[in-house]
Amino acid sequence: MIRVAGEPWREMVAHAQSTYPNECCGAMLGRVDGEQKEVLVAMRLENSSAGSHAARYELRPEDLLAADKEARARGMDLVGIYHSHPDCGAYFSETDLKNSCPWYSFIVLSIQKGTFDHANSWLPNAEQTAAEKEELIYA
Amino acid sequence: MPKILIPTPLRQYTGKQDTVHVKGATVGEALSDLTTQHKDLRRNLFSDEGKLRSFVNVYLNDEDIRYLSKEATPVKDTDTISIVPSIAGGSRGAF
Repeated sequence: MIRVAGEPWREMVAHAQSTYPNECCGAMLGRVDGEQKEVLVAMRLENSSAGSHAARYELRPEDLLAADKEARARGMDLVGIYHSHPDCGAYFSETDLKNSCPWYSFIVLSIQKGTFDHANSWLPNAEQTAAEKEELIYA
Repeated sequence: MPKILIPTPLRQYTGKQDTVHVKGATVGEALSDLTTQHKDLRRNLFSDEGKLRSFVNVYLNDEDIRYLSKEATPVKDTDTISIVPSIAGGSRGAF
């Protein structure tokens, strides 16, 4: 189960709506206790994908390294990654599955016509062949 | 001894340590020592062929070892090695 506190949730939704019709991406910092995860900070990161961002995102490894350092400096963990799917569902796509390190929680926000619609959290398996839905609670 | 920073999801394999001190004169030796100390890490970091998994990047201090001498990059006692995942995706390819 992953719980996103009110402030980071509002930040994630605002970020996803602000980049519409393009995809946004960012890091989620907080605490991990076994399978219980709590997101306390949402950190916007740049979508560095070459070309159109309408259906693609990419994180620079150095930006992720900076997010991990920020988490350590705050005494937190890097809990996962969020990104948006403009005008489509919050599924974990084949593109997501093939290109994502399967260690983290991945929250996908569906933005329909510029407005938040729904979200899901996903846990890809180690083989990157499937992703399991994780219970998501947000304020 | 150089140290390796362990990403949160992999700390379950290091007895919850977020940093592991390792022996080795190169990045490759340091990673090898890490997976000798914590054997369950190996399958998370390396393929069956013994190569770093495609989604694993390794940084020496703030530099990607791909732009240095890869796993032959020399390390000093004061160096910090970071394991940084590759992450990308997008909405195309709905299941």
